[in-house]
Amino acid sequence: MRLSRADLHALTGAYAVDAIDDEPERERFERHMRRCQQCAGEVRDLTATATRLAFASSRPPPPDMRGTVLALVSQTRQLPPVVEHRGARSSAARAAWTGRFPMLSYAFAAACVGVAVVLLVVLIGTRQQLGRVQARNTALTAVLNAPDSRAVTQTTNDGGHATLVYSLRRHAMIFTSHGLPPPPPGKVYELWLIGPPHVRPAGLLGPGEAGRAGPILTTGVIKGDEFGMTVEPAGGTRKPTTTPILLIPLRA
Amino acid sequence: MRPAGTGPGLPEGKDRDLDGLLALVARGDEGAFARVYDQLAGPVYGLVRRVVRNPAQSEEVAQEVLLEVWRAACRFDPTKGSAATWVMTIAHRRAVDRVRSVEASAEREQRIAQPIVHADDVASTVEASLEAERVRRCLDGLTELQRESITLAYYGGYSYREVSQLLSSTLGTIKTRIRDGLIRLRDCMGVS
Repeated sequence: MRLSRADLHALTGAYAVDAIDDEPERERFERHMRRCQQCAGEVRDLTATATRLAFASSRPPPPDMRGTVLALVSQTRQLPPVVEHRGARSSAARAAWTGRFPMLSYAFAAACVGVAVVLLVVLIGTRQQLGRVQARNTALTAVLNAPDSRAVTQTTNDGGHATLVYSLRRHAMIFTSHGLPPPPPGKVYELWLIGPPHVRPAGLLGPGEAGRAGPILTTGVIKGDEFGMTVEPAGGTRKPTTTPILLIPLRA
Repeated sequence: MRPAGTGPGLPEGKDRDLDGLLALVARGDEGAFARVYDQLAGPVYGLVRRVVRNPAQSEEVAQEVLLEVWRAACRFDPTKGSAATWVMTIAHRRAVDRVRSVEASAEREQRIAQPIVHADDVASTVEASLEAERVRRCLDGLTELQRESITLAYYGGYSYREVSQLLSSTLGTIKTRIRDGLIRLRDCMGVS
């Protein structure tokens, strides 16, 4: 369905109250809004108006929620700010440095090569391991920093708390949990990606990891997947054999 | 247009406070977060509860929202609106996501089956407050179709397509009623 400009403009109200559930339509409106300052201004005002409706339905939260949220906060890393790239500046600084002291910088470069060779020899044994850790950290950061990353915390059927941070754009998710009771002897918690194509195993929590587990990074997340967790025999299974104790749809 | 940072949710001074607190939260100040919590947990929980209805699920969603405020505090941009608006926008979106995700389930059918929201109970189950009273007065000033469209969309978490079906009106009419109703509310509540 093609919408005219006037039709799009009339969507400011519906957009302000999250009443556009058709994703393509919402995206079209957002694109339009980037070019239409008047629409953006109106959306800002109407969203602010909707906030008044929210304040009118204020209600005391359950008393233990404060403690829970503050405890979660003390364990949750914050998103870093979005920063501009500094590549241009640092290469200019480098040019100034080498321009003034060319010999010094050659000597420095040579020394660096020497040090690097020594370090390389020293580190050769641990390099692979380091690489793996770095790759993992890079991957974790990539999920946390993804523009579409979302965090969901949910209670499992057995009273634990699981937090997922995921990015559909990065096709990855990070799982952490706390307060999970230890699984029955000989069993483990297994994580799953339940997708329209098929169900894929997404990691195991070792028996010692019940209380507090993660972060566990899983890749290959695709749109439409649902995250699940079941109790399975030690070593895990290829397919879930018990009813999930936790299900979280990974919405965009 | 109103100057940046002055939102309508709260008296201006308090709103500025929140903007400042959020800047501290962005730098990892847990004490500042606790103060943000004390100011906004009630509105967040109340709104989520109105949309989601189930108390246990509402608590979960409210927790998610507040955790997101902590996590994403540095992404808050005061030039785009007040801190209160930013937080309540996250809260509303999360609440709506939660009810839409149960779309196919019986729960959803039940929600649809009974028209559960009446303009009347806007303030009846919530903390009595001047703000609620003022909002109710402004809602009373709308036409019935405007009021019902906004109430179903905002407090009911329905999409405008669903609202058009519930109220047996065309999509174009509902779209327009939500917009002109909100504009009238804005003017009535002095947002601008």
